[in-house]
Amino acid sequence: MKKKRFGVSEALSRGLSDTINVVENNSGVFRNAILPLSRIELDPDNPRKLAISLEDVRQGLQKTDPLFERKSNELEKLRELAFTIANNGVINPVVVYKRGELYRIVAGERRCLASILAGKAEIEARVFNEKPKGYELKLIQWVENTAREDLTLNERIGNIRDIFTAYQSQHGVSALTATLLKNMTGLSLPQASYYLSVINAPEDVQTSIEKNELRSLDKAAILASVTETEIRQIALHACVNGCSLKELRQIITRSKQTIIPIKTSSEKKRGRTLSRVNMGSTHNTRVIHAIVHAVITRPEYANFSEQFAKIQWNHYEQATQGFKKMVTLLEEMIAG
Amino acid sequence: MKVIAFLNNKGGVGKTTCSRTMAEFLSKVKKMPTLAIDFDPQCNFSHQYLKMEIDPVAPEGLMPPLHPDFSPTNPDDADWEGRSSIAEIFYGQGVVPYPTYIENLDLAPGHAEKLLAAEAVRKSEVVEKVHKQLAFFLNSPDVREAYKTVVIDTAPSKGPLTASVIKAATHIVIPSVMEEQPVQGIYGMLQLWMQESLVREKHRPLTLIGILPNMFKQTRLHKDILSSLQENSAIGKYVLPVTLSQRIVFAEVDSANANPRSIFDFPETHVARREAYDVCNYITERVFA
Repeated sequence: MKKKRFGVSEALSRGLSDTINVVENNSGVFRNAILPLSRIELDPDNPRKLAISLEDVRQGLQKTDPLFERKSNELEKLRELAFTIANNGVINPVVVYKRGELYRIVAGERRCLASILAGKAEIEARVFNEKPKGYELKLIQWVENTAREDLTLNERIGNIRDIFTAYQSQHGVSALTATLLKNMTGLSLPQASYYLSVINAPEDVQTSIEKNELRSLDKAAILASVTETEIRQIALHACVNGCSLKELRQIITRSKQTIIPIKTSSEKKRGRTLSRVNMGSTHNTRVIHAIVHAVITRPEYANFSEQFAKIQWNHYEQATQGFKKMVTLLEEMIAG
Repeated sequence: MKVIAFLNNKGGVGKTTCSRTMAEFLSKVKKMPTLAIDFDPQCNFSHQYLKMEIDPVAPEGLMPPLHPDFSPTNPDDADWEGRSSIAEIFYGQGVVPYPTYIENLDLAPGHAEKLLAAEAVRKSEVVEKVHKQLAFFLNSPDVREAYKTVVIDTAPSKGPLTASVIKAATHIVIPSVMEEQPVQGIYGMLQLWMQESLVREKHRPLTLIGILPNMFKQTRLHKDILSSLQENSAIGKYVLPVTLSQRIVFAEVDSANANPRSIFDFPETHVARREAYDVCNYITERVFA
């Protein structure tokens, strides 16, 4: 009889390994802590560019402030968030890193400001032991910001440029492609392609984005793909005046038909004039066999069928020779 | 100051024996000023070194005897009832460690009733206070100046007392019998290790020295369970390469009239002493690496 072997149950073994892996992969990288809000500072380089500052929230807005109106709007929005924080607290911890005596925010500016407005003294935070590297920092801020709806297209594009610049300096210079952008940000490939074409858009499109006249990524990407300046200007004007995506497509299609003359077959082509027919090539030897078979089974070529009897048609070299032989034969017969 | 704790929420795995052996190794063999702390309401660790007394108000529990330095006539001791346990940290009182018969080894004994009261705390704000109290005590300049190492015996639980030890420790060892239920206890302790590791600052990590196979017997059950842990790629590196066997001599040195009274009083060739030496020496090298 086989000896019984004892062991730890699979579930327990998995539980032990999982726990060990969590500690090995995460301890020392960051820690979760409850921090006094008085020791939090904002990141001046955060791509979201809130006008309102910590002092504005702590001491109230000054009417003499040149940005009073913009800051008032921001404060109003923060008050809405402060209301939910007062009732339910902050659900996700903010992300910070230690900078001297203070903690600088990587992600969660609005939650911190709103918590102060809600009268809280502390906030739950994920604390990095050191400043995340440029690329990781920008990426955390990007991920945080993509979840927000009130970010303008201009700010989103700015974020992507920052992420790429940080990526370039950290990983060496490389061209920005849609796949790279997808890998960096986790965007879908079509979305990444849209962003890429907008980043490389002609100047008129870029200017409209900067002025916040153009706020839709889809529309901007379509406009960026229009190479004819005249048509693009018409489409851009329509966009600024609030046309829908469908209307934009129609405008571009119509303009192309009326403005750009259709190319005729008489137009001169580049390269040498052709004096022979290229027969092409195929991976499928059965195609060749089918063509040759169709020719040599015709009654007028019946005498030649024996020459093709020994060819192994599944053999690329033999099939090629067989096909060439058929072409030579046909040329002779037709010429003769 | 290094703070070594022996933890397992399963009882009967030899935490007290391991704590005692480790404390005696550091103080007696390595000549380091060592503080032994008994954080288990059963107070068995304290009973090794002190004649613990029955608490008249809680007959099931033990309390420390009068402190040898206590003098009822001394005006300095006017506000002191003469006994001191580690549980005083939860009551805002000072802790006065007791000397032991082992050179360089002091003891902060347990106090059953007071420790049980701390363990029973469930109100979140009080629990948080309990959690921080031991670390606060061990970080005090007096303690740090007086001792180079601290060895803590813990209660077989995952409650506030154990959490308090986890917060204060620099190193933890999980003794376990190589049987299914004690190994389940390892899981509970690893969970606490994980929770604490994720809130610790980088410069003061909580180092898991590892799982110490204790009361080991050369049986198929023990050998198979040990190899199943060793063969697991994640767990294997945390299974200590040394073991303590099931030996009657460890129980004999525990008895009141034992002679010798410490495992390290046996001749160097004694198999149990050699084993205890190897285990403690391995842990010490890791702690002071």
